[in-house]
Amino acid sequence: MKKKLISLLLCTVMAAAMLTGCGDETTSNSSSSANDTSSEASAESSVETDESTEEADSTEEAVTITLGIWPEDTLTEDIAVHEGYVATMAELHPNVTCVPAYYKYSTDTFMPMVESGNCPTIFESWFTEPQKLISQGAIADITDELEARGWLDAMNPSIRELLSDDNGRVYGIPRDGYALGLMLNVELFEEAGLVDEDGYPLYPKTWDELAETAKTIKEKTGFAGLCLLAKDNSGGWHFSNIAWCFGATLCTENADGTFTANLASDEAIAAMEYVKSLKWEYDVLTADPLNEDWGSGFTQLGTGGAAMYIGANDAVQQPTQVNGLALDKFAMCPIPEGPGGQYSLYGGTPYFFSKDATSAEINAALDYLEIMGKAPVATEAAVAGMKADAENKVAQGVPVLQRFPCWIAQDVLDAEAAVVEEYGNVDPKMFESYFEATASDGNLRLEEPGETQDMYAELTKVLQEVIINENADVAALMQQANDNYQAILDDKYPAE
Amino acid sequence: MKAAKVKKEKFRKRDLMGWLVMLPTLILFAFFVWEPLIENIRLSFCTTKMYEVTGFAGLKNYIAVVNDVDFMAAFKNTFAYTFWSLIIGFLVPIIMGILISETVRGKSLFRVGVYFPNIMPSLATIWIWSYFFLPGETGVLNIILGWFGIEPQVWLNNPKWTIPLIIITLTWKSAGSTALIYMANISGISPDLYEAATIDGASIMQRIRHITIPSITGIAKTMLIMQIISVFQILYEPMIFKNGGPNNASISLMMLMYRYGYRDYNVAKASALSVIVSLILIVLSGIYMKATAKRNDE
Repeated sequence: MKKKLISLLLCTVMAAAMLTGCGDETTSNSSSSANDTSSEASAESSVETDESTEEADSTEEAVTITLGIWPEDTLTEDIAVHEGYVATMAELHPNVTCVPAYYKYSTDTFMPMVESGNCPTIFESWFTEPQKLISQGAIADITDELEARGWLDAMNPSIRELLSDDNGRVYGIPRDGYALGLMLNVELFEEAGLVDEDGYPLYPKTWDELAETAKTIKEKTGFAGLCLLAKDNSGGWHFSNIAWCFGATLCTENADGTFTANLASDEAIAAMEYVKSLKWEYDVLTADPLNEDWGSGFTQLGTGGAAMYIGANDAVQQPTQVNGLALDKFAMCPIPEGPGGQYSLYGGTPYFFSKDATSAEINAALDYLEIMGKAPVATEAAVAGMKADAENKVAQGVPVLQRFPCWIAQDVLDAEAAVVEEYGNVDPKMFESYFEATASDGNLRLEEPGETQDMYAELTKVLQEVIINENADVAALMQQANDNYQAILDDKYPAE
Repeated sequence: MKAAKVKKEKFRKRDLMGWLVMLPTLILFAFFVWEPLIENIRLSFCTTKMYEVTGFAGLKNYIAVVNDVDFMAAFKNTFAYTFWSLIIGFLVPIIMGILISETVRGKSLFRVGVYFPNIMPSLATIWIWSYFFLPGETGVLNIILGWFGIEPQVWLNNPKWTIPLIIITLTWKSAGSTALIYMANISGISPDLYEAATIDGASIMQRIRHITIPSITGIAKTMLIMQIISVFQILYEPMIFKNGGPNNASISLMMLMYRYGYRDYNVAKASALSVIVSLILIVLSGIYMKATAKRNDE
């Protein structure tokens, strides 16, 4: 009897639990269908907003947006800048309420947040993410909103492709672009005597020169010449840029929709042999590259643990503001040239929008971006936003540098250049070679196609092996990585 | 007959009270433990978009997991973790427990001492150990070796050492709390037994061998299976020390699951792997139960 009662009760409880689970699903279904209808209606409403953007219309329905792009609590000056944006927003769009909701994108918090309906209306992410997020249905399709504003054609076409699905629907817009270069700690260059008569660092122009330069620095100062990453996927990410310079193309997309991994080519192997020589022939790396990731690399560079580090113009606050490197001791030069040419990996930070956001909310968020000066419009408010941002950077000791053209609207580019000119707080000569190289034709290269993160993971495993094992057989390791990566590609994109 | 009936009815009333008392717990359990558990099994047989089921996948997720390029490495490593944790970590808390129980002076000092690593945040201990294990001349252990004229070692970067060294740090951190359980158990042993043994002229070693050890065997068996279950699910230590490296030398099954779920957003595949892990654990526990049950019969 007792047992029966227990089992009966357990069953009831379980059934109740299951029912609650089902209940969740039905509600989420209904909400997503509500979304569908709202996106159907969006065409009309976006036309309406288009007409009424110029004059702020207080009769518009009240909209509340949550700003995941709000600065984190400790950055009080940045918050003050954003409070200024909110004030401008209240003036121009009195129907919009802005709610700060700082969110730093990370893969381990994102999904639960979206699933619980707490995704901010707008947030920043990485350029590795859009395809994954689109396929999971986790972000909003903003094609109609962008089209109504005329922003679609202002977007750099290669970036637009990155942020679109197979049908050409666009899901995000770029905050700014970046191109990898070589960041230099000028202090260590000075100590090693590697500066010209004007005090500018004698930066390496080829990978061979880099090895020699790094060796000189290590001998003269005792500190690492180069900080190489081998802890996580960022190792493979940097390596893919090195491999391009050795003439490698790591993955190709075939006409039938399949991909071919190309990690074991002679060029890729030569690039990996080169990395191996940095450890075993030249010995110019930090104590444990297997413990270095994107953030620790900036710490090494900023605090003088390493003289060179592969980094991009969108992260210049890392060595300086975050890790204390003086502005006049920081320089950037292009990625060195290899036997296969000179390339700079090109990417950026995208803005995405919550899948639950209505068209009006998305438009309000886009208005906010306009005020921040991150949109392809050079309105008065936008230029004021750019200036506020630059002013803040000067106050924080962050280099004010030009952005990479993620928008191709000329008036915006001109406005930006003027702001950089006005607020420039660094010696442009320290960055001249970097911007020259990245402006040359065919220099910028987007990340490899396919399952890029998996490719980075495979390459990182090889990097780890060649760094810990002097006798590592590079060709065999690259072949293994190639086989593994091909298996992943075949699994995800089977031949039809 | 009548009396029996009355008794039964009384029981029912009492039962009802008991069940009522338990009801909130049962509901919470159902909601936070059983439902997610069942949901996890369901997800592992489905295709998903975020956490939402989009279709039936049969065994596809399981096949995808087993064919994953990193699965075999993670599978072998996870057993290696368990093996090394038994070799290195199982006896340490028992020895600690016995030694501290036998100590007369400064018992509390030692008790606090062994438990201390346990109250430190896990991430902090891993960071500290990372500085100890740093290869090159700046690593703490290498500096110490340098005093004796020994060449610097690469520590965790030697794939043969990675897992045992991680287990050593794990033991350093958690042995204290297990030792406390043994100590509590030992203090429960009747002092009469020790007194009698001492009067009979038994030495310390004899007392430990014939009184202490037999008394803690039961708890030791439980701790053994609990240790297997917990070490089998090792996740953040290898993730933070070396992110599963060098070249997959320390990747574990749970790390792989974390990557499926949180790097690739592939909930179904992550669920499939977690079902595989729990199946392995059920089998291991079954084997253990059977083995110990036989002993008990003898």
